[in-house]
Amino acid sequence: MEKSIENIWKEGFLESDALVVPKINDLYNQKSIHLIDKFKRMFKINLIAIVAFSFAFLVISFFVGIPIMGIIFFVTLSVLVYINKKLLNDLEKIDLGESSYKYLKVFNQWIKKQVTINKKISRFLYPIIFISLILGFWFKDAEGMPMGERLVGEILVGFPDTNLIFGIPLIGIIIALVIIGLLALFGGRIYKWDLYIVYGSVFKKLEELMTDIESLRS
Amino acid sequence: MSSDFYKSSILPFAGIIIKLCRAYTNSQQDFEDYYQEVCLQIWRSKDNFREESQWSTWVYRISLNVCLTLLKKKKNNVQHFVSDSIATEATENNYAFSNESLNLLYDAIRKLSEIDRAVIMLYLEEKSQKEIAEIIGTNPNNIGVRVKRIKIRLKKILDGKIN
Repeated sequence: MEKSIENIWKEGFLESDALVVPKINDLYNQKSIHLIDKFKRMFKINLIAIVAFSFAFLVISFFVGIPIMGIIFFVTLSVLVYINKKLLNDLEKIDLGESSYKYLKVFNQWIKKQVTINKKISRFLYPIIFISLILGFWFKDAEGMPMGERLVGEILVGFPDTNLIFGIPLIGIIIALVIIGLLALFGGRIYKWDLYIVYGSVFKKLEELMTDIESLRS
Repeated sequence: MSSDFYKSSILPFAGIIIKLCRAYTNSQQDFEDYYQEVCLQIWRSKDNFREESQWSTWVYRISLNVCLTLLKKKKNNVQHFVSDSIATEATENNYAFSNESLNLLYDAIRKLSEIDRAVIMLYLEEKSQKEIAEIIGTNPNNIGVRVKRIKIRLKKILDGKIN
């Protein structure tokens, strides 16, 4: 007669070797492999790296004559760090002791909020960085005058009929606006694409788990 | 983590943790990693225990939530979600127990979805439908039907393998 799975379970765990507890050594000092801990670690490292980079770049920008670029970088990235630090604090509040549905739901909501906020930021971040690059080099000193004015002067020598608006070639303004527009349009997508390369399988799996639990709830 | 906390609050429930971790891993190394991670997360979360449920139920919740959202290192060092293709991978863990029938049952359980694995493990641990629903966060009325379906699936998988 076939054994029921209940009997296999009960009889199997009656044997002495069935529940041998693994040895644990120096547990707390071991690196956690949990998804949330990994997110926290990654976030913290990213934020520290952004702060360090923006501060170093601010100092260097004064030495190499592009302080406008350094200041814009520093202010923009500081705002980015501040917003993401607040997001990180929310991650600390996720309670593992909740039911699986609530736990996964809160975690899923956090991921979605994080992606939505950073997508919005990216739509401004990339254009601002591009503008700071232009302004930084435009106002960089080039033998007694701003590099931008020197460049316009040289263009006017070669192309005297160039249309200028506020002393800037119209074609240059159009090209810059197109690039800014494209960066604003695709900034969010670039961020999401980048994120999904690393965590795509995790997001997909979370969705599947949620769908499965929700089917049990209905 | 103090060894006192481990001995008094985790070790008495090690059986629960071992049984769950075995269902979500397919190698001894992964199993040991998961066991350690569950213990670590129980210790980290202990201040959140509000005594609204039994400590054992709470340990189930933590163990299950950790197993559902753990990262596992693949051979190529790319980190991915624990259950990706777990059923199709070589199961080194087939022989984790000396009882052959139990090994086969675990193999069959690993072929289920993550949530079905949780449901059947809790059922086999003789948790009531209400308790299972509370741990997973679902409707208790649907648990009975799901358990029946899972048992049919397990019987199909095990058909002819166990006398």
